[in-house]
Amino acid sequence: MNLFRSEEHARRWPQFNPASEDGLGFIRLEDLVAFFGTESRQHMLDADYLSAWYPRRAAERRAVLERAGKTTPFWMGTPGTP
Amino acid sequence: MADPRLLDQLFTRIMRGLVETGRAPHYAELARALNVSVPEGRQLLLDVMQAYPIGWLHPETDYIASFPPLNNLPTQYRVSVRGEQKWFAQCGFEATSVTWLFPGETVRVQAPCLDCGEPVVIEMRDGRLMTVEPASIVGHLNWGFGPSRGKPPFL
Repeated sequence: MNLFRSEEHARRWPQFNPASEDGLGFIRLEDLVAFFGTESRQHMLDADYLSAWYPRRAAERRAVLERAGKTTPFWMGTPGTP
Repeated sequence: MADPRLLDQLFTRIMRGLVETGRAPHYAELARALNVSVPEGRQLLLDVMQAYPIGWLHPETDYIASFPPLNNLPTQYRVSVRGEQKWFAQCGFEATSVTWLFPGETVRVQAPCLDCGEPVVIEMRDGRLMTVEPASIVGHLNWGFGPSRGKPPFL
């Protein structure tokens, strides 16, 4: 889960996984900010974050991925992910 | 499982400790802060890490290695606030979440590109991107999410 200067830089990375090619593993920075800035993530300093906010995280993330069109198993974390 | 209020308290102590000092406290320090015995503090830490599985202890230890979005073990994602670099993000993705730990502050994340070593820089304030250098920065997920990935979570 890295940031690269561009897609071309990621493809030249010696550890690049070919299964993440064809745009599958790439995400625009703006989408990443939304993905990791859901409402629950904005409450990490709250006294009840672990019990009240963290449990909401998974559903929020799925919703963001769906809006970004990233509904493949690669992003959704379902079995069979390459 | 422990009292959820105690788990919340321990979680908050760890997160705020990381924010304030750049380092995660040890369970013995946490135990004292929560007025529980040291063995109880250790068990509470294990319970918190089980409840927050996106973080992890260093293998075969009770040392907090990762407590996202921050990392206790240095990574290439160096985080600076008010010109001071004393934090590390867990990964490039979580780096975009660190902003929420420093409300009202500009959070700078700088990392070397894993291809060329040239810098990748983002600055965020209250969840908004302020600086992106170069403008072509992208996120990359090398291995899919989920239990089937079979790869270390940091890749």
